Amino acid sequence: MTGFELTATALPLFAPVEITLDALSKAALYIVIASGLSLIFGLMGVLNFAHGSLTMLGAYLGGAVMVALVSSATGQGMRLLLFFVAVAVVFAALTAFGAGVERVLIRPIYDREPLFQILLTFGLVLVLDEAATIVVQLAGLQPQTEWQDAIGTAPEFLAARYDIIGASTRGLYLFEALVGLLVVTAIFLFLTRTRYGLYIRAGSEDPEMTQALGIDIRQAFTVVFGVGSGLAGLAGVMLMWDPRFGASVPLGVETLLVGFIVVIIGGLGSFKGTVVAGVLVGFVDAVMSWLFINYIDFPGLPELVMFLVLVTVLVARPQGLFGVSEVGGH
Amino acid sequence: MSLLEVDDIHSYYGESHILQGISLEVEPGECVALIGRNGVGKTTTLRSILQLTPPREGTVRYRGEDVTGRPTHEVARMGVGWVPEERRMFSHLTVDENIRIATPPGNSVEAAFERAYSAFPELESHRGREAGDLSGGQQQMVAIARGLVGDNDLLLVDEPSEGLAPQIVAAVAEALKTVAEESTVLLVEQNFPLAMDVADRFYLLDHGTVVESGSTENVTRDDEMIRRYLSA
Repeated sequence: MTGFELTATALPLFAPVEITLDALSKAALYIVIASGLSLIFGLMGVLNFAHGSLTMLGAYLGGAVMVALVSSATGQGMRLLLFFVAVAVVFAALTAFGAGVERVLIRPIYDREPLFQILLTFGLVLVLDEAATIVVQLAGLQPQTEWQDAIGTAPEFLAARYDIIGASTRGLYLFEALVGLLVVTAIFLFLTRTRYGLYIRAGSEDPEMTQALGIDIRQAFTVVFGVGSGLAGLAGVMLMWDPRFGASVPLGVETLLVGFIVVIIGGLGSFKGTVVAGVLVGFVDAVMSWLFINYIDFPGLPELVMFLVLVTVLVARPQGLFGVSEVGGH
Repeated sequence: MSLLEVDDIHSYYGESHILQGISLEVEPGECVALIGRNGVGKTTTLRSILQLTPPREGTVRYRGEDVTGRPTHEVARMGVGWVPEERRMFSHLTVDENIRIATPPGNSVEAAFERAYSAFPELESHRGREAGDLSGGQQQMVAIARGLVGDNDLLLVDEPSEGLAPQIVAAVAEALKTVAEESTVLLVEQNFPLAMDVADRFYLLDHGTVVESGSTENVTRDDEMIRRYLSA
């Protein structure tokens, strides 16, 4: 490593299609990672530090489902189908887990200062990460590195590269963008078309008035904490196949950081803001990664620039792009 | 049996002793006004009935049932509606969605729309707009409509004329009279003539206690006392 260094190669000055494809896959991942955080904070005002650890659990659990069900003889289409089985299993398991955590651990401390919630969810990070490390080691895996067996269950047509308008991209990245689009559409429909979504949007704005209309807001808290945890797990399943991430214990911290960046840029509690910020951060990351790979030999570049965007937004608009000055409450 | 019986309630904000033993009763079909200067505990009385600010002492009975300390949503589901001060719109929800969320599960939302927009035809053309974009008077109509569609037998209405232009106040007063004909109303109102016009009875509050009560018809005779407690 020699720090900043321009390499003299005959590369194109810019590769818009390649960068856009990379950006869309990253945006999809970041949005799914951040959406649960955003929903939970928007309604409940709880900053869930354990969100990344739930993504990590989702990646391992999803990987376990795939590794258990996929053999070398499993067909390509079947593998894709099993991916959605893993999504369903993980989403259900982590939704139930999240709902339980809300009822047992978080509910008793709503009336305390936010510091208690931060300490509690941070404590949960330590417990979950340590528990995962023990279990993963007992299973004979190395917790610090990506679980290659799980990555290997991806169908070949996703691992292959394709040419799209002159740019080369992995099938997996297109698949991630597609799954991300499905998840965003599902959340959007849930928020705008269902009675519960209406409660969530109303409760995010004025929890007291919502209760006075006969709505049990505590029950809505449990549902949202559950669904938010389920979404964290779903993000993990998406990452389990991706060689840039993969199932590992440090995945929790890695995704939590990105999740916070996206949620804060978008405006705490605004789902629209989360989507827009996810796309923005995805593009920034893609452009910087491309520059890093082709020109500037400095691996920390994408993250550095992401933080610069975060700082710029916070200075110019402290409530985030779509945030309101005050959200959440009990 | 009274619809609502409030018996010697004491409520606090933090350490501030706001309600110092309020007692009042509301009979089915009545419209009762709470009057008094700013800060005497009128809004807190409504909040204490809904258990948003649960009383530390005393009891609130609704239809004879003790609801003191119950969760607010349960009291609301028993048929107590709230049309709060400053209207408390869900400003990012549309007018339709504000009505929809106030409709109890199992009731027809279409019927609720019909009820709301026949009571306030002016809102009909704004159904798809975000409630935060409406004028103050229109927002007050949405707030009252939310109370109307909620299957409520008792409506707690807080300062409906506050911050509205005089000609709009007249429209809101008309709307209140219509509401008062259909359901029981406990009204907090600073606009004294409006309160006396709409209500059948009144309770006059001062320093967190009831200092006078009676029929609104007799009020002119007590002018002297009313003026003493209402003027700052």
